[in-house]
Amino acid sequence: MFSRIRGSFYRTSAWRLALRSTLVFAAGCAVIFLAMYIVVARAVQERSDSWLIGESETLKQVAVTTPRDALYDRIVEEVAELASQEVSYDGSGHPIKGNTVFFAETDSSPHQTVWVGPQDSGKFLAALHGISPERGAPVSVRVPGWSAPFRVVAVSMRPGQGHIYLGLLDASAAALMRRLLVRFALGWLLMVGLGFFVTLMGLRRMLRRVDAITGTAASIRSDDLSTRVPLKGQRDEVARLAQTLNNMLDRISSTVNQLRTLTDSMAHDLKSPITSVRGRLEIALSTEDRNQCAELVAGGIEQLDRLSEVITTSLDVAEADGGALRLRPQTVDLSELAGRVAELYSPAFGDNRQSFTIEAARPVLVQMDVPLGTRMLSNLMENELHYAGAGAEVSVEIGIVQNLAVIRVEDNGPGFAAELLESAGDGAAAMARVFHRFVKGNGSHGHGLGLAFVNAVAVAHGGRVVARNRKHAGGAEILVELPLSGAKTDQPPTSTREAVS
Amino acid sequence: MRLLVVEDDKTIREFLTRALAESGFGVDASALGREAEKLALEGVHDALIVDLTLPDMDGLELIQRLRAQGVTSPVLILSARRSVDERVLGLERGGDDYMTKPFAVAELLARVRALLRRSTPSQSEATRLRVGDLEIDLIRREAKRGGTEIQLTQQEFSLLEYLCRNAGRVVTRAMVLDHVWKMRIDTSTNIVDVHIHRLRNKVDRDAHQPLIRTIRGVGYVLKD
Repeated sequence: MFSRIRGSFYRTSAWRLALRSTLVFAAGCAVIFLAMYIVVARAVQERSDSWLIGESETLKQVAVTTPRDALYDRIVEEVAELASQEVSYDGSGHPIKGNTVFFAETDSSPHQTVWVGPQDSGKFLAALHGISPERGAPVSVRVPGWSAPFRVVAVSMRPGQGHIYLGLLDASAAALMRRLLVRFALGWLLMVGLGFFVTLMGLRRMLRRVDAITGTAASIRSDDLSTRVPLKGQRDEVARLAQTLNNMLDRISSTVNQLRTLTDSMAHDLKSPITSVRGRLEIALSTEDRNQCAELVAGGIEQLDRLSEVITTSLDVAEADGGALRLRPQTVDLSELAGRVAELYSPAFGDNRQSFTIEAARPVLVQMDVPLGTRMLSNLMENELHYAGAGAEVSVEIGIVQNLAVIRVEDNGPGFAAELLESAGDGAAAMARVFHRFVKGNGSHGHGLGLAFVNAVAVAHGGRVVARNRKHAGGAEILVELPLSGAKTDQPPTSTREAVS
Repeated sequence: MRLLVVEDDKTIREFLTRALAESGFGVDASALGREAEKLALEGVHDALIVDLTLPDMDGLELIQRLRAQGVTSPVLILSARRSVDERVLGLERGGDDYMTKPFAVAELLARVRALLRRSTPSQSEATRLRVGDLEIDLIRREAKRGGTEIQLTQQEFSLLEYLCRNAGRVVTRAMVLDHVWKMRIDTSTNIVDVHIHRLRNKVDRDAHQPLIRTIRGVGYVLKD
């Protein structure tokens, strides 16, 4: 699984998603860092500009108020020197390397009259030539031979007395800004790199689990449905997807197994009578005895009728199991219906030397599809006729227990074989094997459809069937529970008891 | 009586035609819906037997078209579709009766006769039925054989009445269950045989000529 991801890594969703999210993240961080840098740079520049404006005003006052005598230049130069020293040392008195201040005074010509600053004053004065003193706000001026621009403020003195210029190259601030820029860039790279790595790893880990699900689904074959996605205790979306897939595979596997069982059983239960009918017809074709011929054909017809019944019932049970059995329910008195079915079967119990009693509370109203309900009751009777054994006592009881309509069929025959009462199937579909199609006891001559049909009809009507062996008296007990109809009766249930032997 | 059989399966069409002809009906047969429509519109058929699955049109559509063009003859629908919904749909679209495949020919004949009886003017309902020396009084619910009264339960009388009403015709076990017990169930036991056996013991026990006969593989017939 891992090799599959690594083999085409740059085509994986993990790579694409990580790259896209990282690009968006990087752009967002860059914008934030740039905004922060601009704010800091402006704050630093405002600090320099404030100093320049304040000092230029001081120097202007000095220049204006100092008499224009032989000492004028000396006084102004000294004041300018003192001002420049303010930015040349830090708060502890240590010199700040690189900070440079210049002061220039020009007359109205404009020719330089006073200069305090680096030696090459000509370059500076040439650079100052285009500055307009009227603005009074600092501007950036590039001086040839200097790495960074100077912030310069120009102030006009009295009319006809010229201008003074104060310039500052704040090397410490420039260095601070450079350091800030570098650290911002490094921080940005680190964040983007780390974000990309974490996103990529997270996505890759998640998608590897998705890939495992894909691999599992791809490995499913019709002859092997046993593969499942391994679950490691996570409870996230991918884990739920894996769990859902596993559940789906469980259901498919169960259905396929049922289908195989059904196919095998159908093959056996259909082919045997077909073989028998074919044999009968062959003999009938070759015999010259007309009576024997008629007998063989009639037997064949009877077998075909039974075959038709197997197919019909099997389809009904299959439809019911698949939730596709369409009901036409109507309000029915279960006691009355069971009574009519019992009337039909009573003589057969007598012929079978079985005693038969029916006890019915009336009325027991249920919403029931009458043909299906009739067949369900008929199957319960047939089951007793076939399997309770000669001489058995069979009793049927119809009543209401805990707001449910209950049909209880009991006998004192041999009971169910233990393996038929074992639970089979998964989850909500789990039920005793005796209710599965084509499951039958060793002594059964039927097709294993009778009780499967009873169960299918009961479930289709929102009820259930329980099969068990009676604990003390011995024999079998089948309990069918159905929801009562919404139609209520005010009459207390009365019981009738009918015994037939 | 003339019937029209519309069935695309050649084998079924042929044996139906033969069985109906042997029972005294004139039979036309068709495998196609369009051809059957033309034949039915001639108006000479007393009843139609229509399979629902035809190669050129749905059987229900054929019935609807015939009803829309004024054909009133009763229609017996044949189909392998077995759900109650489909049965109801077939009857709602103009069918008069519905049989699912496979079916017993005897039952088909009985249903065709029943349809024909329903479509002809009603005759006064008999209150007494007689087959040979067996006579039953439907009002007093009494049965006599050779003038001797036979003691029957309600179920036994209903069964005998049904056999008498169909005297001379074969009735299947499914028909007996449907008409006497009002139950449409397939039974793998000989439950109907048990009732017939009990009835036969009372009706034929002292008579030299048995009336109730078993047609092995098909059903029973009551005839003199």
